[in-house]
Amino acid sequence: MIKLTIDNTPVEVEKGTTLLEAARQVHINIPTLCYEENLSIYGGCRLCVVEVNERRQLMPACATEAEDGMEVKTHSPRVREVRQTLFELIIASHDISCELNCLTCTRQASCELRNVAEDIGINRMRLNPIYRGLDKDLSSYSVVREPNKCITCDRCIRKCEEVQGIGIFANSDRGPETTVTTFQDKGMGNVECTNCGQCIISCPTGALHEVYHMDSVWDALYNEEKHVIVQTAPAVRVAIAEPFGAEPGTVATGQLVAALRRLGFDGIFDTNFTADLTIMEEGTEVVERVSNNEHLPVLTSCSPGWIKFIEHFYPEHLKNLSTAKSPQQMFGALAKTYYAETMGVDLEDLVVVSIMPCTAKKFESKRPEMADDVDYVLTTREAAMMIKAAGINICDLEPEEYDNLMGVSTGAADIFGTSGGVMEAALRSAYYLITGEELEEIDIKPVRGLEGLKKAEVPINEDLTLKVGVAHGLSNAKKMMEMIADGEEFHFVEFMACPGGCIGGGGQPISAELTSTETLQRRMDGIYSIDSSKKLRQSHENPMVQKLYEEYLGKPGSHKAHKLLHTEYTPRGLS
Amino acid sequence: MVKERKFLKGPRLRDVSTYEFPGLKKALSLGPDRIIQQISDARLLGRGGAGFPTGTKWDLALQQQGERKYMICNADEGEPGTFKDRYLLEERPLKVLEGLMIGAYAVGATQGYIYIRGEYSEPIKIVREILEDAREEGILGEDIFGSGFDFDIKLVRGAGAYVCGDETSLINSIEGKRGISRIKPPYPIQEGLYGHPTVVNNVESLACAAEIIKQGAGEFAALGTDNSRGTKLISLSGDINISEVFEIEFGSCTLSEIIENLGGGVRRGRDPKFVIPGGLSTAALLPEELDCTYTYEGIESAGSSLGSGAIIVVGESRDLVDILLKVSRFYMDETCGTCFPCREGNKQINYMLSQHRNKKFSGQEVELIEDIGEVIAAAARCGLGQTSLSLINSIFNKFPEELIEEVIHVD
Repeated sequence: MIKLTIDNTPVEVEKGTTLLEAARQVHINIPTLCYEENLSIYGGCRLCVVEVNERRQLMPACATEAEDGMEVKTHSPRVREVRQTLFELIIASHDISCELNCLTCTRQASCELRNVAEDIGINRMRLNPIYRGLDKDLSSYSVVREPNKCITCDRCIRKCEEVQGIGIFANSDRGPETTVTTFQDKGMGNVECTNCGQCIISCPTGALHEVYHMDSVWDALYNEEKHVIVQTAPAVRVAIAEPFGAEPGTVATGQLVAALRRLGFDGIFDTNFTADLTIMEEGTEVVERVSNNEHLPVLTSCSPGWIKFIEHFYPEHLKNLSTAKSPQQMFGALAKTYYAETMGVDLEDLVVVSIMPCTAKKFESKRPEMADDVDYVLTTREAAMMIKAAGINICDLEPEEYDNLMGVSTGAADIFGTSGGVMEAALRSAYYLITGEELEEIDIKPVRGLEGLKKAEVPINEDLTLKVGVAHGLSNAKKMMEMIADGEEFHFVEFMACPGGCIGGGGQPISAELTSTETLQRRMDGIYSIDSSKKLRQSHENPMVQKLYEEYLGKPGSHKAHKLLHTEYTPRGLS
Repeated sequence: MVKERKFLKGPRLRDVSTYEFPGLKKALSLGPDRIIQQISDARLLGRGGAGFPTGTKWDLALQQQGERKYMICNADEGEPGTFKDRYLLEERPLKVLEGLMIGAYAVGATQGYIYIRGEYSEPIKIVREILEDAREEGILGEDIFGSGFDFDIKLVRGAGAYVCGDETSLINSIEGKRGISRIKPPYPIQEGLYGHPTVVNNVESLACAAEIIKQGAGEFAALGTDNSRGTKLISLSGDINISEVFEIEFGSCTLSEIIENLGGGVRRGRDPKFVIPGGLSTAALLPEELDCTYTYEGIESAGSSLGSGAIIVVGESRDLVDILLKVSRFYMDETCGTCFPCREGNKQINYMLSQHRNKKFSGQEVELIEDIGEVIAAAARCGLGQTSLSLINSIFNKFPEELIEEVIHVD
């Protein structure tokens, strides 16, 4: 063990611990900007510099390993003075002006610069911002880049490369001209971006945000002639209360419904309903393909970031993907057929809105094969902004129920929101579909949790043990694909583009206080608590899904079901 | 009267076929430990500017375990006012080659690199030819001089970035990456080029090493002072009558003697306005501060540093604001852009200076410039940043009447 003192407090740490980690052990907060848990050390912002053994040269706490006998001062007069001036420089590089100001910024409530300002007690600003005049990148359906707000901390570069295994971003130019951009400045919409939005989560400023659909949704809501319905994804309910001050993982399903009703939606439905439906379609497909030994393993298809990833990087495996549309698109397809017909709504007047934890869902809804079934996609963040703008605090509302037709769901659908959930839900029903019996123990624990790659073997009957895998985060997806290519045998594999699954989606609220792992864990706990508290926990038990098959689709995998609920993919390769 | 002491300088030495490589041959018979002992005994300090003991560097590299090691000659001579490596590359390149090979043999490197700044087209041509000739003559390749030592050298042409003179940036550049510094540790000795132990030495350091092995450590250590052994190549330039590379024995003269005797005095005038003693990254010295002896310690006691040995003389007629602006422009253009203090600090300084042509600076402005200077010096990631405001700050300190508005106190 290494012994040192930080601000006169003795600390004992393992060898290899950085000064930043050591300080956190004794609850001393050192401000950072370019540092992010789970990313490589960059050592660029220098905000975390500390005084070591009274040396003149200050050391970056994020990149300096603790050594025996070190005397570290994290907030000495000199360190504080340097930090203040450095922060002035950073603010000046952030181009704050009339056009770019904190009040209109997408990150007005979750800006890390603002947190740092508070942490270091900045009380002066002597420098003029030097306007850089860079163009916005509006090429993507999902994500907007505003380079003038970028402070070049390179967290998005590292996130995309290290956590997602892609690397669409890079630095270009030099010195003060250094910018973050895409290959040949092509724009995010024209490179191998999966639209996952993880870069947004990592950005400390408002330089990256989703393509907003809020204004269009407001317009639709204000238009008397329009019939506007909305669906809410499983992972939204455990995060929507966060922007209103609640802890991550707070379950606010009923309050979300109540808020949306107040906003004026004409029908409030649950993507969970189509998640149950997805299990019926995908589960049936898995059972068929496994018994026919056809294109195994079956790969899940509900994460649109993952879909774009496989289209770019493993187009030869597109035949392995389940043909089932994602729950969002199944909902869209049914809304514009089953719902419109049942309710007698003219398609001209029907507007279908989604609330998703996801930025890639915006791209998905614009895929040509999806035929504009979903008109607008709001992220959890956008939904929260709209609710706030309507003068509503979600935490104050009494819970209300979803509308009936497509609002009923089982616990299996709730867990779609977290890594391993689709797999668990599918296994619960696959067992039933094959054996005609119910699983005795429906909690399938090996596929749960934040481990990046998970594997399980589930005995179904004497002849069949299903081998399943789960990967979340695209660098794990890459590892899983390499394992499959190397001949590891699976029947069914779940892929989610975002770490943690949808609970960690690129459209989720950004927590300035908690680390990402803590936030994910709490949201995950929230999701499983919903599942375990429900009476119906297996998709095939959903009475409204059963009704839908009886009255409209026939049976899972029927011709009509195929027409509405299944899709095809585009081999994109590399540009 | 100051005279040159020629330890490194000498007649043109570029013909591989006639050169005997006496230092290298001797080194091959000495073996790594005794070579490093010689370099350490000579107390040679790195001549690139930072002054790290060369013997220690080689010793650390020798002790590193690794399947392969690299030896790199840093010929990215970019410090403004410095052109002494160019002299060696053009006139005595075989000594540089020899030093590089001795170092490689001593530390156990099998592949070498010479990284030359892109603008040095003539040295690049010369070194390229020499490397070809050396391969033909069997000086490079396998089993050199029958010793069992295998070694070859690649020539890499820099793309013009000043920061690539920093060893970690230089290594990134060779690897084809952006020329930006790396976080240390790990030091290049531990994990350098392609992750292998790597020694990076300045051109002059290597030429010194070749001479030390040939002539013996005692010969070199007998020159100079306790803390500054041997000789130093200086690049004398600016408002001076004779601008050239000279070789000075440490401690044999003062800065003002160098300017008067070797440089033939200040052009069109008696006294300079100030002198930059070690390249653009070192603090300015006033005429009355030039009586310090030319040693590391002598110039430090005068309040600056010896740096790369570039002595730039600035005449009385020069406009200070113009100089400040040009210096800051240089650092703004050359900061790599990785760390915030250097990138944003140098940009802001340049912006502030460019707003104030032909005007004096207010006390608040000077305070701000000093504050930014302190942030850069204390918190920048590499040597480029840390020293980027040394000169500008020293000019403000030394010419307050000319640059700073007088504060009028009203009682």
